[in-house]
Amino acid sequence: MIYLDNAASTPMDPAIIVLLQDYMRDQFANSGAVYGIGLDAKNKIEEATETITAALGIPSSHNLIFTSGGTESNNLFIKGLCSPDKKTAYSGLEHPSIVETLKSFKAFDNEPFSLLEFSKEGRLNLSCLPLLKEKRIRLLCLSHVNHELGTINDPALLIAKLKKDAPQTRLFLDGMQAIGKIKIDKSMWLGLSGYSLSAHKIHGPKGIGLLVYDSKLTLNPHLHGGKQQFGVRAGTLPVPLIMAFARTIKLVTAQQQETEKHLLKLHTYLVEELRKLGLPFAINSSSGDFQCPSIVNFSLPPVEGEVMLHHLEKQEIYVGMGSACSANSKEPSKILMGIGLTEEQARCSLRISFSRNNNFDEIDKFLQALKISYQALFSTFSKGTLDR
Amino acid sequence: MSDQRTILVRYNEIGLKGRNRKYFEKTLVKNIKRSLPKDKGIAYRVPRGRIMIDLPVAVADEYADRLKKIPGISSYSIGISMNPDFDEMAELGIKWIKPLLQPGEEFKFCVRTRRSVKTFPQTSPEINCEVGSRIMSQLGPKGLVVGIKESQFTLEIEIGMSDTVVFRNREAGLCGLPVGSSGNVLCLLSGGIDSPVAAYMMACRGCRVHFVYFDNQPFLGRGGYDKVLKLSKIVNGYQGRAKLFVVPFQDIQVAIRDNCREENRIVLYRRMMYRIANEIARQYEMLGLVTGESLGQVASQTLENLAAVTCVTSMNIFRPLIAMNKEVIIKHAKKIETYDVSIEPQPDCCSIFMPDSPVTRGKIYILKNDEEKYPGEVLKKEALRDMETISVDFL
Repeated sequence: MIYLDNAASTPMDPAIIVLLQDYMRDQFANSGAVYGIGLDAKNKIEEATETITAALGIPSSHNLIFTSGGTESNNLFIKGLCSPDKKTAYSGLEHPSIVETLKSFKAFDNEPFSLLEFSKEGRLNLSCLPLLKEKRIRLLCLSHVNHELGTINDPALLIAKLKKDAPQTRLFLDGMQAIGKIKIDKSMWLGLSGYSLSAHKIHGPKGIGLLVYDSKLTLNPHLHGGKQQFGVRAGTLPVPLIMAFARTIKLVTAQQQETEKHLLKLHTYLVEELRKLGLPFAINSSSGDFQCPSIVNFSLPPVEGEVMLHHLEKQEIYVGMGSACSANSKEPSKILMGIGLTEEQARCSLRISFSRNNNFDEIDKFLQALKISYQALFSTFSKGTLDR
Repeated sequence: MSDQRTILVRYNEIGLKGRNRKYFEKTLVKNIKRSLPKDKGIAYRVPRGRIMIDLPVAVADEYADRLKKIPGISSYSIGISMNPDFDEMAELGIKWIKPLLQPGEEFKFCVRTRRSVKTFPQTSPEINCEVGSRIMSQLGPKGLVVGIKESQFTLEIEIGMSDTVVFRNREAGLCGLPVGSSGNVLCLLSGGIDSPVAAYMMACRGCRVHFVYFDNQPFLGRGGYDKVLKLSKIVNGYQGRAKLFVVPFQDIQVAIRDNCREENRIVLYRRMMYRIANEIARQYEMLGLVTGESLGQVASQTLENLAAVTCVTSMNIFRPLIAMNKEVIIKHAKKIETYDVSIEPQPDCCSIFMPDSPVTRGKIYILKNDEEKYPGEVLKKEALRDMETISVDFL
C-alpha cells in the first residue's frame, strides 16, 4: 500500500500505539477523583500539558483545552468567543469546520465577512487588513496551512500587519496541517488569540484535539457539566489519549526540521516529475516560502480527480481530492474555485499529501500508475458530446 | 404457570388453495424451521389450517419476533398451556391487558373460544362470557369495554383434547405466500430506494429473489458495492438463501459512452444490464427478472424506454412498483428497513457517463444502430466471466 493522503489522516506511530496501550491499561482512573490513582491521572494530564507547552513554546499567557479533535476545537473557540453577534472574517479557503461554524451566525443576522477576493494565491493578501478595521471585525479566522493547497498564512507577518492595520481584530489559526511539518515560530503565540490542533494528523490517535487560547479571553462553554478544563469544556478527560497526544507532539516537534527537509525533497521531486511526464497537468499548489512541503495539488484535465482516485485505489495507492465527480454531487471544490480555477480544473484535481513515512520509490510507483491510468482514461474523458 | 409456550401461526392465502395446499403448507413450515434456531425443545405441529410451535418460555418472545419476517404468515400469537380454569384464564388476561390501559381512555377487548372437545361442560359462548366477565369485573372501572367487532385485544382460548391454551393478542404477519413456493427470480438491484422494495414484494409472492448489481468500480469507489451488500442482506432477511451477482460494468459503460449517441446512453446501458441479467437467470434456471421501475419516474422509465429494454429478453419481467408513486414506495422502504441504507449518499453513476439530456422515447431501430458501434457481445461475455457470486446468507 502506498498512502499519500496524510492531510486527511495519518497512520499512527507504532511507538505511540505501544504507549497508548500501556496508558489505556494503567491510567483508567477519573482525573477528577480524589483518591491516589485519580490524583495520579491528574498529574499525568499536568505532565502532558507541560510537555506540549514546552514542545510548542506556548507561553503561560495561554490556556490549553483538550477536545475531541480539530472540528471541536474550531467550534469551541469561534462560537465560544463570537456567538452570536460579534463580527468575524475569513478568507473563504478554510476547512468546513471553520466556514460552517462562522456561517451558523447567519441565523443571528451576523454574516461572516469573506475575504475571498484577496485570497487568489491560496493565502490571504495582507493588503486587505485595513478593511477589517473599517468593518469592525473582532475575529479573523484563517488556516495556518491550507488543507487542500498547502499554502501558508505566515503568523508573524499577519500579527505584525494586524497590529498596525486592525488592532482590534483578534487572530485565530487552524493549525491542523502545520504542526510537525513547518517551523512554528514560538513568538507567534503572543499575537494569537486561538490556535487548534489534532493528534491524528501527526501520527497520533483519533479522538483527541487541542485548543490553545489566550487566557484573558472568556469562552462560553458549549458542553456543560463538571468544571473540568477551566469550566470551558466539561467532561471526563481521556487521560491515555492526552498522554499519547503529548508524546506525539513532542516527537514530531523534535523531528520537525528533519521532516520538513524530507518533505521538501519529496515535494520538489514530485512536482518536477509531474512536469516531466509531458501531460497537460497543472500544479495548483505553489512552491517557496509560503508553501508547506507536505501537500501537492494538481489538475489532470480532462480526467476527473475522483475517477483517477478510484483507479489508483485499485492499485492500493491512496490519494486525496477536493471535489466529487459523482452524478449525485456535482459541486467542485470551493477552495480551488475560490483561487480562480475553472470548474474543470477543480473537478480534475488530486491532492497528494506526504508524511515522514513516504519515500521516493513510492512517488515513482505513484507516477507510473498515474501515467498509465491517465492514458487509459484520456480518450473517454476527452470525448465530448458525440454528434452522429 | 407452565415453562412452555405455544405459538399459533395462521395463514390466509394458503388456506384458499385447493389440492396443492399441502405443498404450500410444507414450504411455510420449512421456512419457519429454517429461520428459527435448531434448539432442542422446539416441536412443530400442523393441525388443519394452522401451525403450532411448542417452545420454552425463555425464547418464546425472541423467536416469535422472527415470524414477522416470514412471508406467508398472516398472524401469530403466543399462548400458554394451562388448566381449563376460568379464574386462571381471566387472571392471565388481566395481566396482559392491564398495561395497555390508558387513564381516561376506553380500550376494547373480547374473548374468543374454540372448543374441539365437545364433552367440555360449557359451550364456547358460555366460556367467552365466564372469562370475559371476570376480566371486566377487575378492569371495567379502568376503562376496559367489550368490543367484539373492533376489539383492540382478543384473548383466544383453545380447548383441545390434551390441553387448554390461552393466547395473547394476534401479531400481524407479512401475509402473501411462503418463499420458495413460486420459484426463483433475479432482481436488478441498484442501491436506490425502489429495487429493494420490488425484491421484497416478490419475496412476499413466494419467490426466492436473487440479486444482480452492476458495479462501476473503479470509476466510482467501493461505496456503492458496500451499500448493495447491506441492502441485499436486509431483503434476504425476509427469505434466505439468496445469491448476489456483482457484474463489472465499467468497460461496457465506457464502450457505450465512447461509441454511441449521447442521448441514448442510459437506455443502452439498461439494455445491456437486462441482457446480462437474462443470461444469469437462464444459467441458474430462474423464472423472471424483477426491477424497481415505476412508470414515468425518470427518463429511462417511460413506456417507450421500458419497451426498449424489455424487448432484449424473452424472460418474464416483473415490475411490482410500476404504478406506485414515490411516497408509497418510500413508505414500504421504511417498513422493510432498507430506506436508511438506500439514502446513504453514494453515487450510483459517474457524471462522465451521464448524458446532458437523455432520450425519453427511445426508438428501437436507432438503439440497434448504436449497438452495432461497439462489441456488446464480447463485452457481455467478459463481464459474465469476471462476475463475482456472493451467498448473501454468509454476509
